[in-house]
Amino acid sequence: MTSDYDVVVIGSGTGGYVAAIRAAQLGLRTAVVEKEKVLGGTCLNWGCIPTKALLEHAHALKVIKGAKEWGLLGVTSPSIDMAQVHARKNRIVSGLTKGVEFLFKKNKIDWVKGTARLVRKAGASSAGPAVVDVFEGEKQTLAPRKGIIVATGSAPRSVPGVEIDRKRIITSDEAIHLKEIPKTLVIIGSGAVGVEFASIFCRFGADVTIVELLPRLVPIEDESVSAELEKSFRKQGITAHTGAKVTSAKVDSDGVDVTMQVAGGRTENVRADYLLVATGRGAMTTGLDAEAVGVVMEKGYIKVDEHYRTNIAGISAIGDVITLNGPHPQLAHVSSAEGIIAAERIAGLEARSLNYHHVPGCTYCDPEIGSVGLTESQAKQRGYDVRVGTFPFGVLARAKMAGETEGFVKIVSDKKYDEVLGVHMIGLRSTELVAEAVMALRMECTVEELIRTVHAHPTMAEAIGEAAHATHGAAIHI
Amino acid sequence: MTDVVMPQMGESIAEGTIVRWMKKVGDSIDRDEPLFEISTDKVDAEIPSPAAGVVAEIRVQEGETVPVNSVVAVIGAAPGTTASTSPVPSPGSSSPPSASPKPSVVPAPARAADAPAPARAADAAPTEASRPTPVKAAGSVPVEASRSRPAPAEPLSPTQRSSPLVRRIAKDHNVDIGLIQGTGIAGRVTKDDILAFLEREKQAPQETRRGPAEAIQEPRMGDERPARDEVVRMSPMRKRIAEHMVMSRRTSAHVHSVFEVNFTQLAHIRDARKAEFERAGTKLTYLSFITKAVVEALREMPIVNASVDGENIVYHKDINIGIAVALDWGLIVPVIRHADEKNLVGLSRAIVDLAGRARAKQLKPDEVSGGTFTITNPGVFGALLGTPIINQPQVAILGVGNVEKRPVVIDDAIAIRPMAYLTLGYDHRVIDGAVADQFMSHLKRSLESWDSSAV
Repeated sequence: MTSDYDVVVIGSGTGGYVAAIRAAQLGLRTAVVEKEKVLGGTCLNWGCIPTKALLEHAHALKVIKGAKEWGLLGVTSPSIDMAQVHARKNRIVSGLTKGVEFLFKKNKIDWVKGTARLVRKAGASSAGPAVVDVFEGEKQTLAPRKGIIVATGSAPRSVPGVEIDRKRIITSDEAIHLKEIPKTLVIIGSGAVGVEFASIFCRFGADVTIVELLPRLVPIEDESVSAELEKSFRKQGITAHTGAKVTSAKVDSDGVDVTMQVAGGRTENVRADYLLVATGRGAMTTGLDAEAVGVVMEKGYIKVDEHYRTNIAGISAIGDVITLNGPHPQLAHVSSAEGIIAAERIAGLEARSLNYHHVPGCTYCDPEIGSVGLTESQAKQRGYDVRVGTFPFGVLARAKMAGETEGFVKIVSDKKYDEVLGVHMIGLRSTELVAEAVMALRMECTVEELIRTVHAHPTMAEAIGEAAHATHGAAIHI
Repeated sequence: MTDVVMPQMGESIAEGTIVRWMKKVGDSIDRDEPLFEISTDKVDAEIPSPAAGVVAEIRVQEGETVPVNSVVAVIGAAPGTTASTSPVPSPGSSSPPSASPKPSVVPAPARAADAPAPARAADAAPTEASRPTPVKAAGSVPVEASRSRPAPAEPLSPTQRSSPLVRRIAKDHNVDIGLIQGTGIAGRVTKDDILAFLEREKQAPQETRRGPAEAIQEPRMGDERPARDEVVRMSPMRKRIAEHMVMSRRTSAHVHSVFEVNFTQLAHIRDARKAEFERAGTKLTYLSFITKAVVEALREMPIVNASVDGENIVYHKDINIGIAVALDWGLIVPVIRHADEKNLVGLSRAIVDLAGRARAKQLKPDEVSGGTFTITNPGVFGALLGTPIINQPQVAILGVGNVEKRPVVIDDAIAIRPMAYLTLGYDHRVIDGAVADQFMSHLKRSLESWDSSAV
């Protein structure tokens, strides 16, 4: 191993490992410092991948429970074997982390196993060039010629009054490893993490209650999507308290007593096996000593410009750990895109800034949600002459075949220039269907262009063409 | 193996046509030795080979047009050498583009001057075409300083990339997207680009509107208009003229060439035959002679009797001469169809007939269309010379100045002769200066040495 590097990346999550590969592809000698025993960071090990694997299990269980309807014989009282679920999920995860290791070898990227911090370069002033000091594990000092990329990511954080003990009051990190199916589960927060675990454990047979502070579920989505999800959750038996908060949580040996204040000021007590805190994630900068080398931080996040440069020359940062101007989406695909841009800039290529307005959001609850661009109310706030069109999956042939007729596609457009401002969908395959909408925004499509785009029949994607028709007056099949 | 790509010869150029291959498959070639010749909408150029070796593959045939950065050929290692290691910059590579020691782009002589400025001046002024342009990655071509504010007559890029939304906004605001500098990938014009452009326009209006109706409203006098001014709506004819004139200025690369013509011979003939023509019920005017001479010159030089259709030049087989007729309420251009089938008497009759009916508003619609060349005669009102605007979709127009007696030097003696300035306004997109001047020389020769027996 050599310490003769062009680029050193701290963290091997979807931001860090992608940045490293891109840098190596561009001919830069690259090393990645990772303190965990595996590569891949949150997404591969504790986030996207394992949760979506669990959701596939939940979906399989849902289908098999409907065996009679489908004419499947020989199925009697299906239930789920959590040991097998975890075994399968872990195989998927380790397959993918091994894949990252393989990509590192292929691109001659060194994995430095250890924990890194930033230290001032000898002789540098208080806010000057820095080097990477690996102070735990494979101890060494790395002084890359071209740049340091900080990609340390984020970790779950709690809310005041609720202390995470990782036994009964847990985060997503523990929830993906639960060996038993809780009888009763209370979830604080109805962002992507909250509603996904609600879907998983509800399907597995738990009695799930969601507590959301804001007036609706999935509050960053379009209002109509929130309403559709609440309707579906109610049908599935998930209790959703919106405009509510957990005031106390008392843990004992076999559970937790949760006290919450729900709408109307009433107090409610729930005895739960587990309380899952899904109220968001905070930047992981503990031990990094970024401030010690003069890196400007904002509310715990590293402040960067649109090309992911910190205020200190030679130090870039990407992914969940950064803030640009205000809140920054903590999404794996955003981190990857940022990593590629940062690596290309360091390699001397022209850097194009990312348009965060064109970043898709995917939530894998059941029914799943895909969205991009402005919601209807955001568009109105910005002063657009808003024109919307909605098409329900309920009348779509493909949805009927799948027996999944919940949800819709909704297009938000500007009447003046016919611009597609946002597309919001909930229902079967929405996380896949949103890709077309992302392209439409990226290519600056008009609604007219979506109408003239031929959608194959029978597919779920037909709903996008139909929603476009609806935006201009009337869908064909309603 | 080294890929050879269609080079980007300018920011706005999206494609190029291979005119000629100078090597064929199997030929060996040195680095920087000319490999092929291209033609783009700005320049014609010889492209040097990026590497030494043997032409292994030619992927684009002569006459084909391909987008920039398309691979057009592959250069293989020269026989006897080991694997090719020639350092060739490719798009996305971090190695610097190899600087060619000599200019790799040679301006095609006849096209060196695109501007309406005298073609000869182009040699002195460094243009994009004469700048060394090594083959290099897209995006690294220096931006021309003039691009942000092109002259109105500069041909607009028909291939500017944009988005459906941009095209929609451009349509609503009558903006020519070709005038906007794109910041997107490969120079694509984005929503932000066009909105910023519109914002700048609002602050500093310039002649960028596509619709002439808008263009002629500017500059507006706004609130400063004195109260006694009279506001009159344009007549439909006035509006059509306005639209057509602005459209023509925008469409064609106008250049004017002025020749002085000695009318002595024609004056003699005219005086001798005037009475005879009047008995035949018509008038023998200088315009009749000029029309006849123009027809003959057009026959000699078909490019002047042509039109531009997209990327094609249409050579017209018929010679239909439009004659601009001034009216009290405007201007109209009736057309003498098949002028090449008429003799001088026939042409004279046609001119008198069409002009008379134009003034009497008795022209039929098909008598004002189908022209392939136009003659206008500002001289009748005393103008020394005119610089007429081309009658689209034609490519040239003749302006006839006043025929008046002037002192001229003939055989080192000063003599008094009837003289006139004739101006050819022509579209430099398809007619080069030399061709225009040959046309005018031909015309001048015919008029000055008219065979009196041929009347």
